Amino acid sequence: MVATSEVLAFVVSLGTLYSIYVILSSSMELVYGELGLPDFAKAAFFAVGAFAAGALSVRLGAALAGIAWEGEFKLRSYYYATLVSAKVAENPLMGLVIFVVPLLVAVPCAVLLGVLASYPALRLREDYLAITLIAFSEIVRVVARNYEPLVGGTFGAGVVDVFAWLRSPWRELAMMLTSALFAFGAWLLLYRLSRSPFGRVLRAVRDDEVAAAAYGVDVARVRAWAMALGSGMAAVAGVLYAFYIGSVNPDDFTVSRTFLVVLMVTVGGRGNPKSPPLGAAVYLALDRALLFAKRFLPVPFDVNYVAYAALGVLLILFVMKKPEGLAPERPLLTVDAEATEGVTSRT
Amino acid sequence: MLDLLVGALVYSNLLALMAVGLSLALITCRVSNFAHGDFAMVGVYVAYTLSVVAGLTPYAWIPAAFAFGGLVSLLAYLLVFEPLRERTDLVTLMVVSMALDMVLRYSLHVYADLMQQWLRVYTRLFMFDDFLVEAAGSRLPGVLPASTAVVAALLASLYVLLYKTRVGVAMRAAIENPGLAEALGVSVRRVFALSWFLSGALAATAGVFLPFRIMVSPDTGWSMLLPTFAAVTVGGIGSLGGSVLGAYLIGFSETVLAYQLAQVGISTAYRPLLTFAAIIVTLLVYPRGLSGLWSGKGWSLRRRS
Repeated sequence: MVATSEVLAFVVSLGTLYSIYVILSSSMELVYGELGLPDFAKAAFFAVGAFAAGALSVRLGAALAGIAWEGEFKLRSYYYATLVSAKVAENPLMGLVIFVVPLLVAVPCAVLLGVLASYPALRLREDYLAITLIAFSEIVRVVARNYEPLVGGTFGAGVVDVFAWLRSPWRELAMMLTSALFAFGAWLLLYRLSRSPFGRVLRAVRDDEVAAAAYGVDVARVRAWAMALGSGMAAVAGVLYAFYIGSVNPDDFTVSRTFLVVLMVTVGGRGNPKSPPLGAAVYLALDRALLFAKRFLPVPFDVNYVAYAALGVLLILFVMKKPEGLAPERPLLTVDAEATEGVTSRT
Repeated sequence: MLDLLVGALVYSNLLALMAVGLSLALITCRVSNFAHGDFAMVGVYVAYTLSVVAGLTPYAWIPAAFAFGGLVSLLAYLLVFEPLRERTDLVTLMVVSMALDMVLRYSLHVYADLMQQWLRVYTRLFMFDDFLVEAAGSRLPGVLPASTAVVAALLASLYVLLYKTRVGVAMRAAIENPGLAEALGVSVRRVFALSWFLSGALAATAGVFLPFRIMVSPDTGWSMLLPTFAAVTVGGIGSLGGSVLGAYLIGFSETVLAYQLAQVGISTAYRPLLTFAAIIVTLLVYPRGLSGLWSGKGWSLRRRS
């Protein structure tokens, strides 16, 4: 018999993760789905958010609480994270500051990097661009992994529990609601943008860059804007992820993470703003279903491996059998070509 | 110092085989194949399994790895890339190859779990025993002459195949202009299938040499992949000769630079940064790569349509 509280904890945890993935895939849909720019450095922008939380939350918390720091960051960050969390338990305002400051640092950093990353797109064919961004993403990961003062290198970094002032079920619920709020905001932004003139410009650039430029669209500017927005969103997701997990590990931000987000957008339907919530739901449902299967199937190997292989198969099947995804992109509402022909031939 | 040279040469040999294979996938189906590293790992596990079951050194099982790796790659072409070849865009092809990477890599993980229980051997972080050869008064690891000989033989055979046989003419024609070749009676499908077989076979062969130098697990393929991309990019995307040249350039500069870093007290863990930077700088500054310098002449195949 499973206790109600266990089910609740499972749902709340899943809800938080779902919200984070909705933000990430919304940002991917904006840049890759609508604009057609393969932003395969998404894991790096996600990491910028997580690293900001990992590098700042404990240090800032210790400074605010007046705790003197001793020893190396990589060895002591988890210990001080616990100390600071205890202080946050008595002072919710401090938790708020520790939550907001990483956001305020991460988002501008990611926006700047995003704008920078949009420039190679002017020169490179799209597949070379994707490889360039993957190389960039790996540079960020390898540096974070080896430069220990940032987030402790392979040791990782502890992150303060900013909701420590609440008691157990409420604490997780607060985390979920915060994430859900951000997720809804990110998705709404994507949805409104997609339906706005800006969204039409994005798709025009995607479908024919030269034609869009001929109509007076400043392609470089549009790309810079979209990358700035997309990267900023990914950084928000990264900050939330760090606070949700409670620690940061550079090896969590590999190209596989980017691939998962691309998978969500592709399965959901590229070019349709409904794809992020749909794709993220499909991914998490499959992932959790396989974890449940693990309990009942006594197989002589780790079921997680099967889960990943199954995700790969899922994506290949979608591209081959249903490339438009679960929610196909809706064509623009324009005047029917035959109707206009009728009018012109009558005159 | 000798160790450094041996390391650089063996590493470059492996990269050369990998890079030529990756180039074959790129020039036939224009796939930036992210599953290419996994073909190498297929080779590793084939040679490892056979040498545990049937004895003999893993070197003896290179032909088996060659065949099996080629077969996996051929299946990938026939089941996935051939149906998608003319139907989808370059980025989607790349995403599909990433999905294939997931499928192969985690299938290998499952296989490694099963093999561990079946044969009672370590199936992750293992190495192969090498023999030593006496040369010029010092002892060298056998993988140096072995890999050099195999690389030279395979690249020479590939050259003969492409330039001295009818199949080679058909292959080059199909690569440069698939539509025209098809119209002239070349079965593009069959010729590309052969290219993909060779692509995987070369990667799997490179894989067999890997555990003589470093400890491997199914994820090692990924860490070989970006250096391979760097070799192909620096050499000039689409050029087989350029890929070989790029492989030796990347292999040597990576090894030597890592050594230099260690001398000045910087962790060698930063070593991959060189290859990543090489990809970015080449693509941004001179995207045609080394082969752009002699474009159109020599061993350079490019799709012209």
